[in-house]
Amino acid sequence: MIGLETVASPTGLIIGVLCGLVPLGAGIHYRQVRAGIFGFIACVFAGFGCGLLGGLPMIVITYAVVLSYAYVNRQDPFTSRAALSDVNFDETRREQVERVLARFGGNVRTSIRALTRNRAGFIGFLGVSFFVLVTIFGPLFIRYEGEAHLERRAPGSRVLVAPPSAEHPLGLDWKGRDVLSHMVHGGQRLIITSIQAGLIATALAVVLGSAAGLLGGPVDQVLSAIANFILTIPGFPLLIVLAAVVNFDSDFMLAVLFGVLNWPVLMRAVRAQVLSLRERDYVQAAVVLDLGLWHIIAREVFPNMVSYITVNFIFTIRVAMYSIIGLTFLGLVPIRDPDWAVMIFTGRQQGVLFLPQAAGMLLSPIVAIALFQLSLVLFARSLEEIFNPRLRSGL
Amino acid sequence: MSVLSVDSTPRPQPSAQPRTVGSRLRNITRSYIFRVVVSGLITIWAVTTFTFFLIRQMPGSPVEVTIDNLMTRQGLTYEEAQRAAATIFNYDPDEPILTQYFNFMRDLLRGDLGDSITKGGVSVSSIILRYLPWTLFCVGLALLISFSLGILIGLAMGYWRGSWFDNLMTGIASILSGIPDYIIGLLIIVVFGVQLRWFDIGAVRGGVDPNITPAFSLEYIASIFQYAVMPIIVYVLASIGTWILSMKSSTLSALGEDYITVAKARGLPERRILTGYVGRNALLPLVTRLAISVGLIVGGTVIIEEMFQYPGLGRNLFVAISSRDYTTMQGIFLVITIGVVLSNIFADFVIGWLDPRVRVSGSSDS
Repeated sequence: MIGLETVASPTGLIIGVLCGLVPLGAGIHYRQVRAGIFGFIACVFAGFGCGLLGGLPMIVITYAVVLSYAYVNRQDPFTSRAALSDVNFDETRREQVERVLARFGGNVRTSIRALTRNRAGFIGFLGVSFFVLVTIFGPLFIRYEGEAHLERRAPGSRVLVAPPSAEHPLGLDWKGRDVLSHMVHGGQRLIITSIQAGLIATALAVVLGSAAGLLGGPVDQVLSAIANFILTIPGFPLLIVLAAVVNFDSDFMLAVLFGVLNWPVLMRAVRAQVLSLRERDYVQAAVVLDLGLWHIIAREVFPNMVSYITVNFIFTIRVAMYSIIGLTFLGLVPIRDPDWAVMIFTGRQQGVLFLPQAAGMLLSPIVAIALFQLSLVLFARSLEEIFNPRLRSGL
Repeated sequence: MSVLSVDSTPRPQPSAQPRTVGSRLRNITRSYIFRVVVSGLITIWAVTTFTFFLIRQMPGSPVEVTIDNLMTRQGLTYEEAQRAAATIFNYDPDEPILTQYFNFMRDLLRGDLGDSITKGGVSVSSIILRYLPWTLFCVGLALLISFSLGILIGLAMGYWRGSWFDNLMTGIASILSGIPDYIIGLLIIVVFGVQLRWFDIGAVRGGVDPNITPAFSLEYIASIFQYAVMPIIVYVLASIGTWILSMKSSTLSALGEDYITVAKARGLPERRILTGYVGRNALLPLVTRLAISVGLIVGGTVIIEEMFQYPGLGRNLFVAISSRDYTTMQGIFLVITIGVVLSNIFADFVIGWLDPRVRVSGSSDS
């Protein structure tokens, strides 16, 4: 992905600080210094962690949040103190952008507040953040051990695998390498590939689902037929076959493959929602006004599905991770430097699965995957409850 | 549920005209069952064709490996080696793929799936018949256990909402539903097998104790169950959380219905309300999902069966894919596809049969 080469590097830090200046400046300008400082910190982290890819969206989000504190909606007679007769309903382009941004920032703030109140969701959020932060910033502090260390063999032991010790908190692997360094370095690629896969699947589902729902007719029939077709083919076995057909030079190909196979479920949900939204008055009005397909999708239909799509995006990331780890576990993707899945695979392949000493080497990736997946589910389910209060189950 | 819609428009009354062959044909083609069967057959054909061409695009074939071996070891020329390999494998890689396809379809229509490429002389049907029962037994039992336990727990949680039982089980179910099945399997092996030594790790690899002669004896059957315990535990743990959570939310929405209030107002015993009114109606949406997950039995077992070396169809699919055994792969994919299609049709009928409000209407749009 573009910008990811700046991950956790001095360039990334500079990008983060530069990005952070925007909300900080806005905070000082609007006398909302506290919000500005928080925005600055968030931007530094995002820019440092993901380069421009994280920094630029974070500018928008934090700026919107700062603006939402300061913004007074002049159109709304309840918030504006001016008499109704003085309110000027004609707004300039700039005011229009500010109003939309402030509303967005307000939504972000209420979501964050709801999330901190939701116990399970907050735990999930902390879990996801923990793993993301460790895999992004951990490599700064812990050096990757790639070469075998034969001299670390414990006296009287036939294998190099060792349980956790003070020097190596997670133990040694079958080549005597420090497991902790592999854990810290090995998660990044897995998480990034899963996110890419989730993005591709979600994007395909949203675009195709909206197209099928809005255009109807033959487009709808063809797309629905393709979706049903893909749904009928057993997903994971097909992924195994395709993984053999497609030559994996990059993880991105794996993400594309997953995305191409996993859009139908969400696509059908999006289509159904579009079909029901299409009958609402405001969408009918937009159709009558002939505002164009993209305008209708982007302005009238999409905003009503954002929450649903976000939740599904997180669930898709989880399924993508499941499939990628499963493929690695079966040894069907090229095995390279240890990541979490490769550690389990080599553990099985080298026959240390049944050695009591190998607990550190095997349990570390197993527990990490379990906790990360669990955090994703808790987070997504709580978001679902926040967005859709009817689902609240009292957890 | 886009397939099902309440049919409110009056159906066209059968006309009083004399019945001709044409009108009967029209009646048949219009009937829902006919269309479902035809579209199911078309789907199966399409998936079979797709997988047929796809799996022959996989790089490397068993024949090429053997041709290489014959040329280097026995000093044969390429043509001789190729002919020798063709007799071993009963498969000619140079035959045009369309000819292969038409031969395959012709045999398929006769119910013949051909012979396995890598295991000479063994028919694909016999492989499927031999390994499918293992998978059906293991996963079917697990599905039965996790479904019935899950709906009971979920019903109790929904009915006594907010109790300590509800809170405890919601936590457990959330955790279980969040962890992938193979991770649960690995955790059980590493923690309970290797570290705590609660069970013998060697005894969970395979489908039955190889030292016992296959016979219809108590010992043999006991061994089958003993070896199936681990995979079943993994399947149950991996799927029960979802059943519990969906049954709970389904129960909660059923509890909000007016007829429950009426039943309570009539002073019916709590037990009767729980089983006859809440339970039955809460179960409806889950039955459809149960029917659909029956169809997914074989496709979802590859990793777990490979992990426990369980002799089921999923592990065989993996072996066939790794050794590029095209015909076996094709046969197993066909079984999986038929399972998915049948269970989808079955789910439609079951829900229409259980819930008279949702009669399957003639216009299915998905």
